[in-house]
Amino acid sequence: MAVDLDSCTGCGACVTACHAENNISTVGAEQAAIGRAKHWIRVERYWEGDFPDVRLKFRPVMCQQCDAAPCEPVCPTYASHHTEEGLNAQVYNRCIGTRYCANACPYNVRFFDFFNPSWDKPLHLQLNPDVSLREVGVMEKCTFCVQRIKSAKTQAQAEDRELKDGEIQPACVQSCPPKALVFGDLNDPESQVSRLSRSTRGSTLLEDIGTRPKVNYLARQTQL
Amino acid sequence: MVARVIGILAVCAWCAALGIGCSALDTSPKPATQALPPLPGQATGVLTTAHESFGAAVNDFFARRPEPVQPIEFPHNTHVSQGLTCTEYCHESVTKGPVAGLPSVKTCMICHEAIATDRPRIQQITALRDKGLDLNWQRVYGYPAQSHVKFNHAPHVRANVDCATCHGNIGGGTVAQVNVKLSMGFCVNCHNEKKAPVDCLTCHF
Repeated sequence: MAVDLDSCTGCGACVTACHAENNISTVGAEQAAIGRAKHWIRVERYWEGDFPDVRLKFRPVMCQQCDAAPCEPVCPTYASHHTEEGLNAQVYNRCIGTRYCANACPYNVRFFDFFNPSWDKPLHLQLNPDVSLREVGVMEKCTFCVQRIKSAKTQAQAEDRELKDGEIQPACVQSCPPKALVFGDLNDPESQVSRLSRSTRGSTLLEDIGTRPKVNYLARQTQL
Repeated sequence: MVARVIGILAVCAWCAALGIGCSALDTSPKPATQALPPLPGQATGVLTTAHESFGAAVNDFFARRPEPVQPIEFPHNTHVSQGLTCTEYCHESVTKGPVAGLPSVKTCMICHEAIATDRPRIQQITALRDKGLDLNWQRVYGYPAQSHVKFNHAPHVRANVDCATCHGNIGGGTVAQVNVKLSMGFCVNCHNEKKAPVDCLTCHF
């Protein structure tokens, strides 16, 4: 994935879309205040300068799907593991809730389910049937909308064709009004995401710790 | 087997001593109002991460599922012996998407407007259709929510997996029943044989 910070307006549509797509339950204000809120993607805000000359910068942060993911070797049950495609997968069935992975993650993008999911009526009727509900005691995190990747692949297979670049759209990418988020296959050098990732503006989060994240952030060029 | 039963009894005695209830062995009358789902911060009563209650864990251990009760005793064998295939009318979504689908009463009436109209059961469903009602079919196969399995029929049908591979000989009996236990081993064996992916994310997400 590539994120063009020049385009990001910090509107938060990605956060909303992610919650709706992935059945992410809310925990209430009280629990959120003690750090139990779950947001698979968040928009970080950075204020720069002193009043009245202040600038505001945004950075959407989701699971970076690291190639050398610190969350993987610490998992005693292999619930957190790497797939052949390079996704950092989380298998809820295997997870026993040790929370080692959340401790190891330098990006704070893993969330523990302290409660069984529940929604105020009638919100329980709007759940996405393609995504399972995580019960109490497991870790969850951004999957790059693996259900959409799966369904696009199945569809392409049914029509006996190759996947097109840009055909797979995670919920955050689809909902981004200025198209700041771009998703695609980094192994394909011709894909849009590969081209953007090769940009000289590109960098990854906490590069020096060597996690080799698969999300590339393109630095701002314009000043607001 | 004897050791297993003794083990279960020991667990039950332990539960009773600690005052832990379980739905499998609970004989006390249920309160009239159903308990609402737990709110955030409220105790959930969940004993394991894999099962919602201890009773559910015991039921799963013995591979027990509540028997689905169908609105009418649909004779699969009669229809199959007439040359009707599973996916022709009744479960036709099977080639298109994840769910095979259960036919509405209108689908029945495509044929039964003319065929076997003198039978009481057919007259029953004709009356239902005339009232604008539908048959409340119950699903027989399916995965419990806590197994986190997302099954899609369509790719399996495209790979020429016969319905009977997973559903047994439903066409030879009357009401649909669980003839094959769909365990993970059952799925993975077939995936290995056919060189289909066995990555966790193939089914669990």
